[in-house]
Amino acid sequence: MTGVTTMIAMTHAGYVAAGWLATAALIGGYGLSVVRRGRKLSRHVPREERRWS
Amino acid sequence: MTAITPAGTSRGTSPTDTGRGPAGTGPAGTRPGAPAHTGSRGTRLLGWAALAALGLLVLYGLVVSPADVEMGDAVRLMYVHVPSATYLYVGCFVTTVASALWLWKRTPGWDALAEAGAEVALVFSFVVLLTGSLWGRPTWGTYWTWDARLTSTAVLTALLAGYLAMRRLDVDPDARSTRAAVLGLLLVPNVVVVNRSVEWWRSLHQDATLARIDPTIEGDMLVALMVGFLAIGLVFTWLMVHRFRVAWLEQQADRVDLDAALAARRAEVAAPAGAAGPDDAGDAGDDSEVPA
Repeated sequence: MTGVTTMIAMTHAGYVAAGWLATAALIGGYGLSVVRRGRKLSRHVPREERRWS
Repeated sequence: MTAITPAGTSRGTSPTDTGRGPAGTGPAGTRPGAPAHTGSRGTRLLGWAALAALGLLVLYGLVVSPADVEMGDAVRLMYVHVPSATYLYVGCFVTTVASALWLWKRTPGWDALAEAGAEVALVFSFVVLLTGSLWGRPTWGTYWTWDARLTSTAVLTALLAGYLAMRRLDVDPDARSTRAAVLGLLLVPNVVVVNRSVEWWRSLHQDATLARIDPTIEGDMLVALMVGFLAIGLVFTWLMVHRFRVAWLEQQADRVDLDAALAARRAEVAAPAGAAGPDDAGDAGDDSEVPA
């Protein structure tokens, strides 16, 4: 609760929130797309070539 | 006709069989139920560690850290911005070194690593530009100015985008990788310009926060920044490993497709000869009956 109160009382809270959310969206979205691309390609490649699996 | 995989194992019964099975079954010749993804035990551990560190970053960056005397709470953007800029540099460094090694050794792994480094670096460059702009508005009064640091970072972003665009060109893969590698060599010199721009030119951007014996921040703010380096470093590493494996898979998928295409072409060439085979054999047999 203290944490939420701290964040609401921030100066420039909108900029801080926008910056953190945009970072999470960019990195999270990119990570998701990489995992999806990996899943799609993995089905096309023999297991011997997937040395990590 | 049996297609041969790069690994030399037999798979499929048709020359057009690329070994592509439905989701979940895996290609022919692979263990049924084999995981079809880029994850491993190591990346799962890394992923959980990154999530835990990100949780700690949220706690320190948004709750524990006090507001700065001059910047106010906008300082909290620094806990994301500064580590992202550092790992942008690391991604460029990885690409340049891997490009040089590709040009020297011609090992496909270096090419895959160069591509992975550039793509992850591009994502971090967007984070840097975005968080920098959002920090600049309350601190400098503007989202963007043609300052040396900002402009050189934008040029670096454009260079990374150009590098990745070059990798999408529909030309001979070897020539494409070589051209991209030459462009990749320019990344580290560009990073040096970005990093030193605040010293070489009069700049609105502040000097380095940590690159000195007596850093300009301390206490919980310094701890929050260190947690930021740890969390974003773990995320960067996780992304790099997965993206490298995707690049590796792209190379292998291209080889599988090429093998299938070559096998199909050989089958087309062999088919008429095979059809005419018995007649030829008969002729040969007739000839053999002619006494010398």
